[in-house]
Amino acid sequence: MFDIIAVDISGRHRTNDEYIMVCAAVSASVTADNIEKTNQIAIRSFRSISAPDVTDVINMVETTVAELKFGGTIVTEAGDMYNKPQRIIDSIFYQDFKYQESLGERRCIELAHHVSLAARKFLLKELGLQ
Amino acid sequence: MMSKRKSMSYKAIIVKRDDPGTDKDKSDLQIRELKELAEAAGYDVVSELTQTRYPDRKFHLGRGKVEELAQMVFHFSPDKIIFHNPLNTMQVYNISEICRCETIDKFQLILEIFATRATTHRSKLQVELARLEYELPRARAVISILKKDERPGFMGLGGYEDSYAQDIKNRINRIKDELETIQKDNRSLRAMRHSLGFSLVSLAGYTNAGKSTLFNSLVDEDVEAMDMLFTTLLPTTRSLTINGRQVLVTDTVGFIEDLPHWMIDAFRSTLDEIFLADIVLLVVDSSQPVEQIKEKLLVCHETMWDQLQDVSIITVFNKSDLLQEDELQQCINYLGYLSPNPVAVSALKGSGFDKLKTKIYNELPEWERISLSLPMSEEGMSILAWLFDEGIVHDVEYDEKIYIEFEAREKIINKAISIINKFY
Repeated sequence: MFDIIAVDISGRHRTNDEYIMVCAAVSASVTADNIEKTNQIAIRSFRSISAPDVTDVINMVETTVAELKFGGTIVTEAGDMYNKPQRIIDSIFYQDFKYQESLGERRCIELAHHVSLAARKFLLKELGLQ
Repeated sequence: MMSKRKSMSYKAIIVKRDDPGTDKDKSDLQIRELKELAEAAGYDVVSELTQTRYPDRKFHLGRGKVEELAQMVFHFSPDKIIFHNPLNTMQVYNISEICRCETIDKFQLILEIFATRATTHRSKLQVELARLEYELPRARAVISILKKDERPGFMGLGGYEDSYAQDIKNRINRIKDELETIQKDNRSLRAMRHSLGFSLVSLAGYTNAGKSTLFNSLVDEDVEAMDMLFTTLLPTTRSLTINGRQVLVTDTVGFIEDLPHWMIDAFRSTLDEIFLADIVLLVVDSSQPVEQIKEKLLVCHETMWDQLQDVSIITVFNKSDLLQEDELQQCINYLGYLSPNPVAVSALKGSGFDKLKTKIYNELPEWERISLSLPMSEEGMSILAWLFDEGIVHDVEYDEKIYIEFEAREKIINKAISIINKFY
């Protein structure tokens, strides 16, 4: 089993002249093809007037991941980091980082995606924006 | 067709453009794979050309490089120029104009291989569908180029650009309908196999990993297995008995890097054999360098993702006889995060099959186990014979009654209980 932190950000598009984003980080133990155990989930919201660039995305990810009690390699989809080469992104992160590879990691990112999407929908509803 | 090609020695030049900063090893691997693909299609690769730069809108390569390519064409007189990178219609037209040679990209080459080997109605439809889906977004541009060639009012139809695209769309729909019917037949066949108590095992993996050789050794069959990319294009299914459980093993088409979605869609009915199986045997060629195996495993994970249902995966490290034991163990450990349930076998030498079969058996859908008693009569004996057919009879004791230790799927167990209840 491998300890990872799967991260996904929802809302990277303009809504009412601003960007309302929700980042979800799922700490889990995964095997090559499955999620064995979910340890903890952290959710943070972020607002911005301008579109996020790579450093903004990395800041959001690191802020959310800092709330977790469990460690592990941060895993995201390549698209979340604007398809930049992994070595470039890895050198900016404080923690170990990689793009998704195995089916287990992909399943975990899918879980993070559902969490961030649902949390953002709830947030927009609360803010009366939906 | 292929042997004819070989005897007539069709020649090709392969070309690849890399973005600046591309990993050299990966690039070398890709060009080697393109060469193998070209050879699998029956071409003799006479020369290679690579360039590192961002793509040019007009020629894909730089203008100077295309002129160099034209000189190579003049020197070697190849039948085709094969690009690794996808080309748009204008680029194909411009390169062909300068080099005076037919230019295709990797996807067209794969289509060519598939078309050459398509023998059944279904595979011919799949190839035709893939070709049309490739052609559709290019249809308008192709007609524009034809019109540019001093042919105003082509075919005498003003809206020909649209009508040609519409014609392709209609043909795509017709083929999809027909393939859907075949797919339905396959689904019902698969459901019937399940209801008959068979579990489905599929071989998946990168092209030329040795799936067909493994299949032949597992089920004692003789399907075509060669050291060549895309030897298998049609799934073949055979039965195999493991510890009394009957499984159906299917050999399938291999995966390849950058296989576009339209191609996966076109070959969906073939790939469904993998996606709807109970167990997938993910075959890897362990004789290759670890980094190459990793790259190929990544392609397999990516292709299987989205479509794969809740199935068990067993990673089969094939060609293990070509490695020392400690090397093999190192490789399996290094790739642990990409290889579920690893097991090392040599399909050619026949080693490691017991371990593989045990793994398959452990991953099969669970059967229930019960103790039954039947009357010692002719009827009781005929039920016993039926139980032998439908499941695994672990133990039989003949006394005043027949005592049986029996294992089978839930449906059969329920049926057996209801039959026995009639006696008491």
